[in-house]
Amino acid sequence: MDAGAAAPVIEVRGLVTRLGGAAIHDGVSFAVPGGKVVALIGGSGSGKSVLLKVIIGLLRPAAGSVRLFGEEVWALPEDDLNRLRRRVGMLFQDGALFSSLTVAQNVMAPLEEHTRLAKPGRREVARLKIALADLPASAADKLPNELSGGMRKRAALARALALDPELLFLDEPTSGLDPIAARAFDRLVRSLCDNLGISVFLVTHDLDTLLGICDEVVVLGRGKLLGQGTLADIRRIDDPWIRDYFAARSTLEA
Amino acid sequence: MGETPRLTGDAASGRLAVGGAWSLGGGDPFLAPAVPAGAWREAVLDGSALTALDTSGAYALLQRLKAAGIDPGALRYEGFDARQLGVLRLVAERWPQEGAPALRPAPGLLHRLGYGAEQTRIHLLGLLAFLGRFAVEAARLLAHPRRFRVREWVVQLQAVFVDAIPLVVAMVFLLGVVFAYLLGFQARQYGANIFVVDGVTLAVCRELSPVIVAILVAGRSGAAMTAQLGTMKVTEEIDAIAVQGLSPFDVLVTPRILALLLALPLLVFVGDVAGLLGGMFTVRGQLDIGYTLFFDRLSSVLTTDTFLVGIVKAPVFALFIGLIACRMGLVVARDARAVGFATTSTVVQSIVSVILLDALFAILQVRLGI
Repeated sequence: MDAGAAAPVIEVRGLVTRLGGAAIHDGVSFAVPGGKVVALIGGSGSGKSVLLKVIIGLLRPAAGSVRLFGEEVWALPEDDLNRLRRRVGMLFQDGALFSSLTVAQNVMAPLEEHTRLAKPGRREVARLKIALADLPASAADKLPNELSGGMRKRAALARALALDPELLFLDEPTSGLDPIAARAFDRLVRSLCDNLGISVFLVTHDLDTLLGICDEVVVLGRGKLLGQGTLADIRRIDDPWIRDYFAARSTLEA
Repeated sequence: MGETPRLTGDAASGRLAVGGAWSLGGGDPFLAPAVPAGAWREAVLDGSALTALDTSGAYALLQRLKAAGIDPGALRYEGFDARQLGVLRLVAERWPQEGAPALRPAPGLLHRLGYGAEQTRIHLLGLLAFLGRFAVEAARLLAHPRRFRVREWVVQLQAVFVDAIPLVVAMVFLLGVVFAYLLGFQARQYGANIFVVDGVTLAVCRELSPVIVAILVAGRSGAAMTAQLGTMKVTEEIDAIAVQGLSPFDVLVTPRILALLLALPLLVFVGDVAGLLGGMFTVRGQLDIGYTLFFDRLSSVLTTDTFLVGIVKAPVFALFIGLIACRMGLVVARDARAVGFATTSTVVQSIVSVILLDALFAILQVRLGI
């Protein structure tokens, strides 16, 4: 698409993370180009979700640098970090919707804090985002615990989209969804990326998501980067985990 | 950034021009001007002066076009870049359904009163059912004592009784001091110094210690039980216990209530001692009633009846605190807010029931002449 999209939106250099003494990441470096859907895969416990938290500025790494839109996340003062976070949307694994607010109020919450929209405008935007996330309008006035798992994910996506982020983080977006809902969610993410030019960085275990919508894949394993590239590049890498990972569904692939 | 969205039309050339920032970062796009009057069917929409366009701006723009009776699909778009066209396309594709659901009307006073009364009725019935369930489980436990979860009971006893001792001692001791001081202040005027010992003893052992200890336990242990069981319910741990073929009632509720049943009388006794000590130190300093005289008087005032009247209330208070706390924990809805509500509700209900039960005991004592 446009030329500006080629600049990396995420740059991780020599990242070392320790949790309770154990090294989770031991010198991980990679860059995520803009305007693409990039997946982060890795075995359980390989530190994918932790990496997401480090990138978004929730968990401080022991060493290394993380740049979002070219800005050093862990060197920014709090105000600048929050300004940076406004350009980013995050979909948590279980939605993390505010349980005391309706879906519409959940979407309106960031609008109230960060924009100068008047109340009717906020309500309009909430209606739009709910529609963008493929939720029926009737879901707007429901509380999160009145929604099914798939609808909760969509509601969380609507909230993540509230401020029109340039970069969207998705933590296991299709986990807990049935295959039909999961593929619909994939298509939704892809169309957001294609139409709105949003960069998407997602953690997933779902091979179908990987094969269906991802432009690039980043593989983590044993605290290191095992590889990065298109799906074809990744499959050529000689690593037991990667072999097993793709073998897990080879029976279904023609 | 910060540029207000503009929408202007040139009727002669049939061109509509959008300009400025149609985005959340700019002015409020939903306050942008409407399409100027004119015939704009199949007009050209010129976006070359746009500085920003996001989904919200695109939505506001399309809303304005539609409000003027223009079909956005029939317009010719000029000066938009690929991304902006993508945004417009996506928003048009996923247009929110018309007719937003009507907001639920705020219920009137009568509605709320009726709702509250009905909820209270359901709640009281639920509590009664829970009491019945506990009675049945307790009876089964008598038949099969080996099913009793001793370890959980001991853990609860530690939390409810042992850990609460310092708090109870401090609170009732201070109450004893205050009560003796105020009583002594009055009694001295009539030369009735020695009766302060009577007053302190009766007040502490019959009322102050049982009621204050019960309220402390309701606020401390009752709230903790509701919060813990409620959180376990939210995280489906209680279902996990049931799926393993265990009864959540056996595993969680019975040990807690039985721990309370034993702990509260013991705590009331601790409170009695602390309150009397507080009174003893006070009367010595204020009224010159020495320790020997105090104990001398105490032995005639503190009859077994007086002591027992206070102590027998405790298990009854404990039963209700335990029932309310465990039931509120188990009926919590599955979200974070509900746990908070249930915990608050436990404390309020427990304290109200302790006071009501105490009043009942007072009436009973008068009738029985104790």
